[in-house]
Amino acid sequence: MMKIGVMSFAHMHAYSYAACLNDLPKATLPAVWDDDPKRGKAAAKRFDAAYFSDLHRFLYSGLDGVIVCSENVKHRKMVEAAAKAGLWILCEKPLAVTVADARAMIAACKKAGVGLGTAFPCRFAPTLIEVHDRVRAGELGEIYAASCTNNGKFPGGWFADEKQAGGGATMDHTVHVADALRWITGKEFVKVYCEKGRLLGRDTNSDDVGSVHMEMDGGTIVSHVASWNRAKSFPTWGDVTIELIGEKGVLHVDAFSQKLDVYCDKTMRHEWASWGGNADMGLVRDFVEAVRARHAPSVTGEDGLRAVEVTEAAYRSAETGKMVSVRA
Amino acid sequence: MNVAIVGCGAMGQLHAQMASNCGLRIAVCADAVKARASALAKIHGAVAVADIDAALARKDVDIVALTSPTPTHAKLIVAAAKAGKAIFCEKPITRTVAEGRTALTAVQKAGVPLFVGHVVRYFQEFEALRLQAQSGVIGHVGFIKTFRGGMCPVGSAGWFRDFAKSGGAVLDLLIHDFDWIRYAFGDIERVFCQNLMRERPTIMDYAMVTLTLKSGVIAQTIGSWAHPEGFRVKAELCGTDGMLTYDSAEAPIAVMPRQHGKKSPNTIVPSSPVDKSPYQLEWEDFIAHIGGHAPARVTPEDALAALHIAECALKSAKTGAPVTV
Ligand SMILES: NC(=O)c1ccc[n+]([C@@H]2O[C@H](COP(=O)([O-])OP(=O)(O)OC[C@H]3O[C@@H](n4cnc5c(N)ncnc54)[C@H](O)[C@@H]3O)[C@@H](O)[C@H]2O)c1
Repeated sequence: MMKIGVMSFAHMHAYSYAACLNDLPKATLPAVWDDDPKRGKAAAKRFDAAYFSDLHRFLYSGLDGVIVCSENVKHRKMVEAAAKAGLWILCEKPLAVTVADARAMIAACKKAGVGLGTAFPCRFAPTLIEVHDRVRAGELGEIYAASCTNNGKFPGGWFADEKQAGGGATMDHTVHVADALRWITGKEFVKVYCEKGRLLGRDTNSDDVGSVHMEMDGGTIVSHVASWNRAKSFPTWGDVTIELIGEKGVLHVDAFSQKLDVYCDKTMRHEWASWGGNADMGLVRDFVEAVRARHAPSVTGEDGLRAVEVTEAAYRSAETGKMVSVRA
Repeated sequence: MNVAIVGCGAMGQLHAQMASNCGLRIAVCADAVKARASALAKIHGAVAVADIDAALARKDVDIVALTSPTPTHAKLIVAAAKAGKAIFCEKPITRTVAEGRTALTAVQKAGVPLFVGHVVRYFQEFEALRLQAQSGVIGHVGFIKTFRGGMCPVGSAGWFRDFAKSGGAVLDLLIHDFDWIRYAFGDIERVFCQNLMRERPTIMDYAMVTLTLKSGVIAQTIGSWAHPEGFRVKAELCGTDGMLTYDSAEAPIAVMPRQHGKKSPNTIVPSSPVDKSPYQLEWEDFIAHIGGHAPARVTPEDALAALHIAECALKSAKTGAPVTV
């Protein structure tokens, strides 16, 4: 039985990961740490775990690993502390707010001899796994171009504060697609151009929409919309879509559109009810297995770093008005 | 009024019907390939000619409809203007902005009306999007996303697939969206573009363009000549208080022809009939303009501005840098 703690419930994905831990037969969630005692106590109660306000006591409470879901800017401190305690780590995306932080985190884990994973649940979505397998089997031939979106509703809270999130919608919603494309095509990003702005009136001190253009090695061209452009009244949280233009054909995937349309008179709302695979469960199961076998999770810290390199380049591009190299 | 159709291919045939629906007489059908001119002339009881200059000079012609391949437009506009004809020209106005300027000068000098077929302004769904946005129902619009595309067209003698002639998906296809975005949301400050045709002389093109408007609004437009079949248009306007979305795939009618044998896979052909074709609406607007009424919804300057944006986009694709419009 692997004992996995959750470090901070600042990111709402923590609730889903905690539920997965409780459901998995080979894992338990004995301990929760949070620098917000109210939030931490409530989560501990909900998931039947012990709440710790003291980080040190939490880290040395007999855990095998931790899932880090703090505000983005705190990822580095959390991961370094957990690594020092010898714990396996799954860190919420983006791995870090800067490339320098991400590198330091990877180095700390390497030094401590612990596995570090980045939470990219898209890699465990059955829809995207199918896309990956078909592309790798050569069904589309060479991939010439990709046009992607990761749209969402405005998350508010600390996400709206650049100081805590490290950026706005462009940071929040570029990493999933960047990682998915690297994984699906096996290519790396080399150049980025970005136009972004606070154009949708969302209550943030950063951008609420970004239009990103990228180039991968071998010349594959990529466009992407990273946004919090979904209306409050939109029937679901958002989307991840990818259109691949290949030598032998075109593939379009709307990764989370396995859904029912629900029309409810009690709330006067139209919403989606999803019935597709549970990507979070795949992600957490993979992590628990890595902790048990004491190897790296299948989506590594390096994968997280590659995505951070892309977002950092996007912000650098927006600042300079130029297309920039990913490896500065 | 009498019309001469110059270029009797796909668009020539369509516009002959539209002009005829408006009560105009198709007097002459001209095409570099005589057989094409004859085929269309037969339908409309017109004269078929292969001598284009002679067709433009005819006394019994009041309006010239230029529906020949894009690189032929410039010379034909100048000739028609010199002959004193009212001119309907398919988009793009010309292949290059430099040609377009020369053509406009000739038109102004001759004082003849010129209308360029930026038909998306007349599409009911796009006009509805524009009016809904203008009504304020979704607050202030800050982001626009469009998709337009399908199969790579061929055209007579394969002219669409010759980048030098058609300008690829950017100049031939996305020019529609450039024009409509400019019409509905204002002038463009800069453009960034990636496309395929530039580097890969294949049978396909795929173009991805970001327009940054003077107002700060960002628009991302995708144009495809890379799909194996079909044609689809999508548009999404995102505002401070909501969203407007349109997808042509959600058409009210879907026709599924039963195909026997093992030819090609069956295709679903969507259909979305309206009271009046947008192509007829543009002819009605043009005719009213010839009659001395207010300027048409599309002015020659608008057409030149859209072409300029397309040229800037192609320059950006080549240099990998944004281009100020
Ligand atoms: N608004 C729209 O929706 C739309 C759609 C398609 C094409 N277009 C535009 O319409 C124009 C025509 O396109 P199309 O699809 O009809 O092409 P097409 O190839 O089907 O037809 C062109 C015709 O012009 C003839 N031609 C060639 N050179 C000529 C010349 N010098 N003088 C007279 N005739 C000549 C050809 O023989 C052919 O019959 C292009 O500018 C294109 O960009 C607009």
